[in-house]
Amino acid sequence: MVRLAYVQLAGCCGCLVSLADTYERLLDILDEVELVYCQTLMDEREVPECDVVLVEGAVCLNHEECVEEARELEEKAETIVALGACASTGNFMRYSRGNEQSAPTHEAFVPLTEVVDVDYAVPGCPPAPEAIERFLTLLLEGKTELLEPFAKLAEGKTEYCGCDLMYHVVNKNMCMGCGTCAAACPTRAIEVVDGRPVVNEDRCIKCGACFTQCPRTIWPGDEAIKELVMGGEEE
Amino acid sequence: MSELEEVMVKGDEELLGEHLGVFTARSTERRILKAAQDGGIVSAVMIYGLEEGKFDGVIASVTDPDDPEEPWKPRPVVITDPDEVLEAAGTKYTYCPNVSVLKEAVRRYGCERVAMVGTPCQIRAVRKAQLLPVGMRHVPDKIELLIGIICMENFPYEGLKTMVEQLCGVWMREVAKMDIGKGKFWVYTDDGEVKTIPIDETHPFEGEPCHVCTDYCAELSDLTAGSVGSPDGWSTVIVRTEKALELLNEMVEQGLLEVKSIEEVKPGLGLVEKLAQAKKSKNQKEIEERKELGLPEPGKVHEQL
Amino acid sequence: MSERAEIQPTTRHEGHAKLVLYVDDEGYVERAFYLNTSAIRGFEAMAKGRPAEFVQVAVMRICGICQATHGTASAEAFERAMGIEPPRDGRLLRELCALGNRIQSHVLHQLLVLDDFVEDEKEKVEAVKRIQQIRKIGQYVVDVVGGEGIHPPNIRIGGMAENISESARKRLYRRLREARELMEEQHEFMKEVVERFAEENDLDMDEFGRHDQPFLATHPTYGDPDRLDLDRVVEVLPIEYYGEEHKEEAYEHNGQIPLYDGVPVEVGPRSRYVVFDGVDPRGVLYIHILRSQETLAAIDRCLNILEELNTSGKTLAEWEPRAGTGVGVHEAPRGTNVHIARVNEKGIVEDYRIIAASTWNFPVVEKAIEGEHQDYAEVIMRCYDI
Repeated sequence: MVRLAYVQLAGCCGCLVSLADTYERLLDILDEVELVYCQTLMDEREVPECDVVLVEGAVCLNHEECVEEARELEEKAETIVALGACASTGNFMRYSRGNEQSAPTHEAFVPLTEVVDVDYAVPGCPPAPEAIERFLTLLLEGKTELLEPFAKLAEGKTEYCGCDLMYHVVNKNMCMGCGTCAAACPTRAIEVVDGRPVVNEDRCIKCGACFTQCPRTIWPGDEAIKELVMGGEEE
Repeated sequence: MSELEEVMVKGDEELLGEHLGVFTARSTERRILKAAQDGGIVSAVMIYGLEEGKFDGVIASVTDPDDPEEPWKPRPVVITDPDEVLEAAGTKYTYCPNVSVLKEAVRRYGCERVAMVGTPCQIRAVRKAQLLPVGMRHVPDKIELLIGIICMENFPYEGLKTMVEQLCGVWMREVAKMDIGKGKFWVYTDDGEVKTIPIDETHPFEGEPCHVCTDYCAELSDLTAGSVGSPDGWSTVIVRTEKALELLNEMVEQGLLEVKSIEEVKPGLGLVEKLAQAKKSKNQKEIEERKELGLPEPGKVHEQL
Repeated sequence: MSERAEIQPTTRHEGHAKLVLYVDDEGYVERAFYLNTSAIRGFEAMAKGRPAEFVQVAVMRICGICQATHGTASAEAFERAMGIEPPRDGRLLRELCALGNRIQSHVLHQLLVLDDFVEDEKEKVEAVKRIQQIRKIGQYVVDVVGGEGIHPPNIRIGGMAENISESARKRLYRRLREARELMEEQHEFMKEVVERFAEENDLDMDEFGRHDQPFLATHPTYGDPDRLDLDRVVEVLPIEYYGEEHKEEAYEHNGQIPLYDGVPVEVGPRSRYVVFDGVDPRGVLYIHILRSQETLAAIDRCLNILEELNTSGKTLAEWEPRAGTGVGVHEAPRGTNVHIARVNEKGIVEDYRIIAASTWNFPVVEKAIEGEHQDYAEVIMRCYDI
């Protein structure tokens, strides 16, 4: 059985809550793995060696324990997954800049993808429960082909935010105005005007949901959809 | 074998997408036919689904021909009352972000069984949302039925307006219906006037992003409807999933749909296949050309970053 | 001579923390330090120079368990700063949204503490299933009303982004009535297991984890800045609170310590019952039972709101930025949550202060642990839903 650890760095725990929002299926999901570490759910106090670690939260470069905890994962875990935007893309933590009275020097927050060698990244703030479940299923079943986009996102090349949606979809003559980005945006920063997205930058938190959800940026393949969605699995 | 299954035939799946069968059909209800673009299939399915409780919400687009600022500009809506379905009847030849209200349907409307009508690209968007729902919390399992529309391309609103006003010489506010068929773009006015331009003249106004799409028949829908291949007043229907077949069977049994074999009508399935082939070849070529320019391929944008 | 013991990290709660305990020969705690070891993401500093709208969206992400409270307290603070009055139905929906969150958060906490009270696997699994069913309904409320169950974007400065549909109102009502039945069962379960725990461990429910700190609460179901006298609130640095002799501990604590009239005060479910119902259960285990009882009350209030709500009413006030300072107070699942915003005439934040609910309780946890055996330190800490 796959030994799974869940580690929270500088994050809000929302990604874990999202996993818990699989409700009645949560116990089934946890039955498929051996949960070896999750400080919020169990009494294990040190991350043991494991097959897969899900990491939520950003890394605070000014917080020694945080950096150490992140770095150690490379030794401890076979597969490292950045779960959620703080670990994947940086999220609103890109706006952190220190000078808080209680810890004035905590100012450099970066996604896990910039600090350690991450295998997969699942953006979103938080990623939907169904997305986490799907990701875990694909990972446990070893469907690496479908995991490729997540591996690519783990390279951490950009934030995959509202700006990227403009630069790499609209500016590249790719947007056909379906409105997926607007629905996917967890802050409702996007409105479709005259068939193209308009991003309200005051609401965009750089979570990557719009870019990742866009059917023109990443297409999983018709066959996967026929097999996993239209095959009646959803009923 | 049901009445419907007896008239169903299979076409070329390379061109039409996988399917259980194709047939031609129209609604038997006068009020639907009056409002509909062709055979009223989409409206009939939506009304039936809502009335029977198979859906508790449908996503479609409505236009207001009398909108003071932008007549005929569609907007997506969530319909929960079957009596309101016909307000959304008829094809709109410009973008309408139907998927943008998908979450609204399951949130503020609290829908649990949503049907959506959409262009092939929109159907694809929802399927991806079901497979990899990164930003689609609690949406995937609420999708009950996806109704695709046969689609060659779409037009930006101002492009459509230019076609109607400059090329056809009809004021947008006078338009009663628009249509594409028999090699022409048709505009019908409130006074019963009909204006046409050859389809070739509309090409400059097509949305460029449509040119990288190779899906003509909404290949990932549960069922697809369109006018191509069937006579005036009838629709070509492609059934792909058991769920859709079951629903259509019920409708035929209850006398809500009149069905015929597409082999008995003109122009027939051959035209659908021909146009599907045309879209695929033309747009595949466009994709290759764009690649040479260093532009990303659809579905692989992330690979270039 | 007392001995120093450390529990790090403490488990089954949100965030990162540690306990430092000075214990006597028999293991009884003479002095406890409950220290927040999380990295400080700096929301107050991040807010400065940013538009109010961004800040309201960002601060929800302080906590992924109780996001609605931060979104609400922030919106309230900006509204008071800029003289914005949310419409009645917007205000009702906002309360409903946060109560949905309170329901899910309270029972989630009951899931986290299960291991403290239940050993039998079957009993545990049954409880988890029931909790998840209740959570699902709580989250359904937040999803429908707030737009997303986690970090609800419909909470806006000026009210709520949109009203709910009439059909959604009916569905919510039906689901919440289901939740009430489940919660009654869960409430009985909590009472039973907590009392059983006390009995089996020979603990006096009224004395175990007792402290003599005052209680602070502003509203039973929403939040009321008029009931919080900010002149009596002071936030001190750990070094000021713990003193030079406990420098080591003080420097490990990331965060400030809020005091009311110069002393730590308890916030949360028990405080709300003490302040608004006049009860005074001093033993710390009662917090579990009161939290459970409060979940039932939250469901009842949700049902009332659904009756009061006009689903075609306006929910969002239009507003123009203007300079000012405002205090937003919301009763989070964990207690009184305070946001204070100062904005300029362009709606840009000049200063932002947050007293998150849990921070009040950190020093209270220490008081509750002191005098009890060290083996119970985490059990007592967990009564507080940190």
